[in-house]
Amino acid sequence: MSDTPTRDDDQTLPTDGSSVEQSPSDAPARGYTDEQKYRIFNKEFMPHIDSMYNFAFRLTTDEDDANDLVQDTYLKAFRFISSFEQGTNAKAWLFRILKNSFINDYRKKSKEPAKVDYQDVETTYNSEDAETEHTVDLRAESVSDLIGDEVATALNSLPVDFRTVIILCDIEGFTYEEMAKILDIPIGTVRSRLHRARNLLKEKLRDYASSMGYKEETDE
Amino acid sequence: MKENCSHQVDCLKMIQLILDGEATEQQLAKLQINLESCQPCIRMYHLEKEVKELLTKRMEKRCCPDELVATIKSRILSFS
Ligand SMILES: [Zn+2]
Repeated sequence: MSDTPTRDDDQTLPTDGSSVEQSPSDAPARGYTDEQKYRIFNKEFMPHIDSMYNFAFRLTTDEDDANDLVQDTYLKAFRFISSFEQGTNAKAWLFRILKNSFINDYRKKSKEPAKVDYQDVETTYNSEDAETEHTVDLRAESVSDLIGDEVATALNSLPVDFRTVIILCDIEGFTYEEMAKILDIPIGTVRSRLHRARNLLKEKLRDYASSMGYKEETDE
Repeated sequence: MKENCSHQVDCLKMIQLILDGEATEQQLAKLQINLESCQPCIRMYHLEKEVKELLTKRMEKRCCPDELVATIKSRILSFS
């Protein structure tokens, strides 16, 4: 599961298998000159900084943590730039580093009620059939009046693994294949995790919509 | 028009693939049929679409503060 720290930030790249975080000097030297490094950094990495910040903020749900996480990620990206192949998918490469940094460095000190969340995840993962083989009874009309803040609250209440797939797919528009690389999981797992995440989200939205008094099937 | 769908969970999974742009031609064709004949599928399709749109369109996108951009750029310059 993704609780296992993943430290190999360059795994998706055609490298000789060296780990970007452990042994930068072993990275396959792409021999970029300093000038090239700065150009790649500015032209290929910096354009994604708003998406990266948004991702960091949605993961940490805290502005200061998002700041630190984005800064760490970009400094790391520059340090290990020789393991990035120019012209390849920079956004996915950066997202992967950010997500790994989050797991390794931030998740522990994250302000969210982690214990409860992990139990939630555990329960959901362990009871696959029961949890996945159902649909949430909710009508499109009952969520159509929700505003962004309410959606964000519902999303934030999901365990981080589920929140992550929804952010990557629905907010950032990554393909399943890109998500598989960013998260180091098979495409089939992307698909099923997304399905579960959306069921959970719909349950939260349903609770939210009814607590806010939006009209449901049942009237009081 | 069918009032009950016997493969609701499978239909839901297929609907999600389609909305995510990950479906095959075959799945697309199948959905087309369901959307003309199956009430639960129609409802699920509208709900999934609505939820996805809430996420894509209604949630605020946080932009990176200018200050942070400046900090990163200056720290990079001091690297080599
Ligand atoms: Zn159906």
